[in-house]
Amino acid sequence: MATLRDAFGNVLSVFILILIGVLAFSIRLFSVIKYESVIHEFDPYFNYRVTQFLTKNGIYDFWNWFDDRTWYPLGRVIGGTVYPGLTLTAGSIWWFLNSLNIPLSVETVCVFTAPIFSAFASWATYLLTKEVKGVGAGLTAAALIAMVPSYISRSVAGSYDNEAVAIFALVFTFYLYIKTLNTGSLFYATLNALSYFYMVCSWGGYTFIINLIPMHVLLCIVTGRYSPRLYIAYAPLVILGTLLASLVPVVGFNAVLTSEHFASFLVFIIIHVVALVYYIKGVLSPKLFKVAVTLVVSIGMAVCCMVVAVLVALVASSPTKGWSGRSLSLLDPTYASKYIPIIASVSEHQPPTWPSYFMDINVLAFLVPAGIIACFLPLSDASSFVVLYIVTSVYFSGVMVRLMLVLAPAACIMSGIALSEAFDVLTRSVKLQLPELVEGTASTAEDTPSGYGSVQNEAAKSESSLEKLDDSLRERPSRKHRKKEKENVEKASSKPRKEKRLLVLPLVASAVAIFLLIMLGSFYVVHCVWAAAEAYSAPSIVLTSHSHDGLHVFDDFREAYAWLRHNTEVDDKVASWWDYGYQTTAMANRTVIVDNNTWNNTHIATVGTAMSSPEKPAWEIFNSLDVKYVLVVFGGLVGYPSDDINKFLWMVRIGGGVFPHIKEPDYLRDGQYRIDSQATPTMLNCLMYRLSYYRFVETDGKGFDRVRRTEIGKKYFKLTHFEEVFTTHHWMVRIYKLKPPKNRIRGKTKKSKSSSKSSKSSSIKSTTRRNPWH
Amino acid sequence: MAKSGQISGHISLLFILLSLFSFSVCIVLSETDTELISALVSLRDRSPSGVIHLDDHSLRRFLNPSSSRPFSIFLFFDALQLHDRSELHLPDLKQEFKLVSAAFARHHKGKPSETKVFFCTIEFKESQSTFGLFGVNSLPHVRYIGPNENPKTSEAMDQSEFARMSDGMAAFVHSKTRLEVGHIDRPPMVSKKQIMFLCLVFLLSAPFAIKKVLAGETPLHEPKVWLGFAVFVYFFSVSGAMHNIIRKMPMFIADRNDPSKLVFFYHGSGMQLGAEGFAVGFLYTIVGLMLAFVTHLLVYVKNKSVQKGFMFVAILVSFWAVKKVIYLDNWKTGYGVHAFWPSGW
Repeated sequence: MATLRDAFGNVLSVFILILIGVLAFSIRLFSVIKYESVIHEFDPYFNYRVTQFLTKNGIYDFWNWFDDRTWYPLGRVIGGTVYPGLTLTAGSIWWFLNSLNIPLSVETVCVFTAPIFSAFASWATYLLTKEVKGVGAGLTAAALIAMVPSYISRSVAGSYDNEAVAIFALVFTFYLYIKTLNTGSLFYATLNALSYFYMVCSWGGYTFIINLIPMHVLLCIVTGRYSPRLYIAYAPLVILGTLLASLVPVVGFNAVLTSEHFASFLVFIIIHVVALVYYIKGVLSPKLFKVAVTLVVSIGMAVCCMVVAVLVALVASSPTKGWSGRSLSLLDPTYASKYIPIIASVSEHQPPTWPSYFMDINVLAFLVPAGIIACFLPLSDASSFVVLYIVTSVYFSGVMVRLMLVLAPAACIMSGIALSEAFDVLTRSVKLQLPELVEGTASTAEDTPSGYGSVQNEAAKSESSLEKLDDSLRERPSRKHRKKEKENVEKASSKPRKEKRLLVLPLVASAVAIFLLIMLGSFYVVHCVWAAAEAYSAPSIVLTSHSHDGLHVFDDFREAYAWLRHNTEVDDKVASWWDYGYQTTAMANRTVIVDNNTWNNTHIATVGTAMSSPEKPAWEIFNSLDVKYVLVVFGGLVGYPSDDINKFLWMVRIGGGVFPHIKEPDYLRDGQYRIDSQATPTMLNCLMYRLSYYRFVETDGKGFDRVRRTEIGKKYFKLTHFEEVFTTHHWMVRIYKLKPPKNRIRGKTKKSKSSSKSSKSSSIKSTTRRNPWH
Repeated sequence: MAKSGQISGHISLLFILLSLFSFSVCIVLSETDTELISALVSLRDRSPSGVIHLDDHSLRRFLNPSSSRPFSIFLFFDALQLHDRSELHLPDLKQEFKLVSAAFARHHKGKPSETKVFFCTIEFKESQSTFGLFGVNSLPHVRYIGPNENPKTSEAMDQSEFARMSDGMAAFVHSKTRLEVGHIDRPPMVSKKQIMFLCLVFLLSAPFAIKKVLAGETPLHEPKVWLGFAVFVYFFSVSGAMHNIIRKMPMFIADRNDPSKLVFFYHGSGMQLGAEGFAVGFLYTIVGLMLAFVTHLLVYVKNKSVQKGFMFVAILVSFWAVKKVIYLDNWKTGYGVHAFWPSGW
């Protein structure tokens, strides 16, 4: 009977898990259904292009790929500067499907990688939570993470970015760590190192793992929970993990040289000292042990001091003390705002306010404290780890809103535990008291003791079956320690079982509480579906707007990129602001000057300077960079607010940061940024203004800009050095061609001829020295 | 006059070739210049950081408006009465100003540029007319008075530079005078002796601490401490306290329309006030605590009516807290919970 129940329970859990996977996958399809199967935003386009290259040319070419389509004329070494995990994953999926004769396009695979991996992530969460608090909590946590908005925001279909696979890798690494800790098996320890390797391949956030696990180990040691299992869980991870991590080109020797990794080495030493102490303790008699302790402690201290001294010397020799700016701003939250304006200015790096938590983890914010408390009753190695995880991640999320993503799994695990424990108690109360009530009303004459006994029996039965289920699931992997651990577990559980029998709450109150908890849960579901459908699904490459006369679709970006692809030479260079670099290379397959990988500030400043200069100097700068086409994004006609005119002050600032003749105040009238008739002459003559508003007055006769809500300052003008070659349907993207220099000679005076000659000669010269601004 | 003749010897040959009138003017000016510089240097030597404290009278003396000066002045406007206004950071900024001054003095010691730049402060109570002269009506304020500038044309440091403290000021000095400020040497938080002492204490106490740890007798072995700590960190983070620390938000602000009223809740999602954050953080936390209380503590109570009473209270409090947060979120961000129901694709 019991085995049948177990089997039924197992089948049911598997079935539920499959449903959770389907839920996690399908809730992320809103973007495909509402829009289309398209890759979103900016960075994903780069990943997509890399994946295309990988599938076409193979892994070795990918590893050595020098990309000359970007950062012209510098180029970029792609193989050594990307986290390859995501690309390799999607590439393998594509290869696997193709070898099964399922001919999916690379794009389709890329679009659906993130939803697939969120299903994996929810299963990994189930495994992790099951290790901590059993199957019920695991299933609840998996259901919660399948639809947590914070994670959805980074993993909707089409959002093909590193975080999509990294969250799965993160949770799975934690699961394997806990599994090793619970079983002490070297098999899982090795798997753990491999999973860590996958995480290192996928995302820079791997430093969170390599600091959190040492912290937990240290915590266990300090609180006297050292065990050989802890050693097996930790030591192989550090050695294997570090070796594997340094295989990833983008990490390389950073895995041993930067301070982010030092904590793990320090703890590695400490755990060896402690292991030695425990070993000696086992060998020696208590008296001898005391002598030995002093000896070992002093030697250990000496070794530690030496290592610390070496580390301090190493760290002190580097200017940032070996920490990257982002890590420092996590440790000292005020650091970034003081010293690194670039980090502080990015909206993802802002500290969140309380509504962000309500938006991103919603009602989980209410449940987490209960989960924390449940983890302390009783405190085990595994539950102390998840407590540490939630505490660190919630702190980090408080510093940077972006790290809400790391908090989300922890919040789901905690809430899963809390909900499961609460339902456990409440449903038990109802279940055990309801028959009593029914029987009581049916026959008041009957003895209470018998009813009471039946309740007891029932309770005992359900308890024991639950425990069996727990035991069987927990014990299976560790054959070696099975017996020992089982004894422990039974010893531990036999006591509460006796007490638990009568642990019930009042019937009506429990029923009300269950009802309210279910209400809370449905509120969460409603919110998540709304967030997935409305808030986080817009691909930003295709825009839609609802107006009184129906749905409008703005597909101008792809229109423009397709035009470039079909109407320009393969080797033509296209200049635009860096936001559109990845998209241009991926969709138009043309060389760009700067892109979203903003590694070279001077280069970006050169483009910024060109955009902020009058036509002639701008033409000279672009010509020196071999640019043929200039692309600007203009939202004034349809009211698309994130266009180039709104980003223009950043171009001025960044340009002025390197080339001081560009001064921000020249573009501002009394400190105000404006493009109407009050605008400064510098503003009205700069290239960005002219390219954006050229012929704009022809649209409505007045030149009314619907983003800035004003009529533009200069309406009728001609371009001297650029010619318009393409403007998209809604004027959102405008492409201009640089006029060839010979056009300027015609009909001009002798003087200008000679000057143009000199500029021509300089352009010839510029083939050797491309950029005169360097 | 004999003295002036002596000094005129120091003046370059070029000046002597100029007309007699301008020559005599030059003599008079250069005399006051050298005097002024020596007066400034002696004033500077008196203060340890090299910052000169000026008042209305002395400032007028040094800023003789009639002509150019061979030096420039960086003037820090201070007001003792505002030192207790923590959001202005006046004492900190003054300290930073002193650091810049000291760094400049160290860097240019013995060079001719030593007397090109002077760092001065002026206090509001003592020298109100100077504040009026420069048109300073808000603090903090640092002003650069170049060799050819008068109070009207002098330039104020950009307000945003104050965020970078001494680095911002040094950049300002550099941009105006083209003189390097040099390495800004901050006094370390703890002196070398203190570090040595701390190390010694640590080394001596380490064996005892390790013994305690091995024996398992520290407060760290008490799970309740960890529990409290964990819940506190959670409360602290979800209340957005880090936001308040980084942005230096006050606990509450005065109402713009009615200054006697206090505003505790800020309308708009980008910002929050201190008290607001803690209130909502409390609401976030209390529900979980109630749930844990019911699930893990109340079940052990034998008395049914006590259980009923407590459960009633817990449910009521939780319900109220959740409702309040939803209401506040709706009020603050305008997001009302509604289901997604497509009318058509």
